[in-house]
Amino acid sequence: MALYIVEADCISCGDCEPVCPTNSITEGAIVFKIDKKTCTECEGDFDIPQCVKVCPIDNCILPIPA
Amino acid sequence: MTSLGFLSRELALRIALAARVLPDPNLKQLLAVLSRCTTEQLTDSNVAAIDAATLKTAANGVFANVDDMVLQQVVAILSNTAPEYVLPSVQAYHAGDMPASVTIACATDDAIHVNGHFSTCTWFMVYQVSCDEARLIDIRKAVHKHDALGEDKNVLRAEQIQDCKVLYVISIGGPAAAKVVKLGIHPIKLNEANALTDILTRLQQVLAATPPPWLAKAMGNVASERLTSAWDSVE
Repeated sequence: MALYIVEADCISCGDCEPVCPTNSITEGAIVFKIDKKTCTECEGDFDIPQCVKVCPIDNCILPIPA
Repeated sequence: MTSLGFLSRELALRIALAARVLPDPNLKQLLAVLSRCTTEQLTDSNVAAIDAATLKTAANGVFANVDDMVLQQVVAILSNTAPEYVLPSVQAYHAGDMPASVTIACATDDAIHVNGHFSTCTWFMVYQVSCDEARLIDIRKAVHKHDALGEDKNVLRAEQIQDCKVLYVISIGGPAAAKVVKLGIHPIKLNEANALTDILTRLQQVLAATPPPWLAKAMGNVASERLTSAWDSVE
């Protein structure tokens, strides 16, 4: 139950960082990253994950495969 | 007095064209005045930055008696915004010629600077850039409203540079940026007009160092694998 950022696609624009309701997104060594321990995929806060909504790149933020 | 150095072919042509506008066409004199107008070398962008007032007063007022309209015309030719513009020549490029390179487009109104707004610029200069070479491979005249015939001009413009991975502009609107991104082109907005040569040099420095993963991916995956392993070791 968490999302991750595809590092080959992330352009480090930083748009996702402020919209995360659980403050799970931080700038990593190379691109931004999502803390999988705290990411809720926005459940309880929003209908759709806010980072996915604002990300300008398609398929850059994806659910971690089970 | 600045050293002439080596003028680019285009700049030499522009200066020659500008000299013909003067009431007493004297190429040598214009060249001497121009080199007094700037303390640096005569490059395309330094010469383009010279204004009519500077020309009029430079070199003890050689051009003081020249009509302002004529000087304006000289300035327009030198900054490549006059109808008699001069474009650099395009070099041949075949896919695979330059390994680990990326195709970029620059929106320009004068073929000297990245100074164009995406939806109104005159040309897209298309370069193939690797860390040790930057080749001008195409100059595309951007479609204008009257060519669009009811179609979305910005979509047509984005399609003109579909083969590019990066687009440098001075500004681009939100909906237009979305259309560009949709075609897999990464728009980069500059804060101020920069000489094309400066942009290319800066990009080459990035490519030579550690390009960001999305750019490495755009260049072919060679570099991104190296980065991914670096990323794993950080985690």
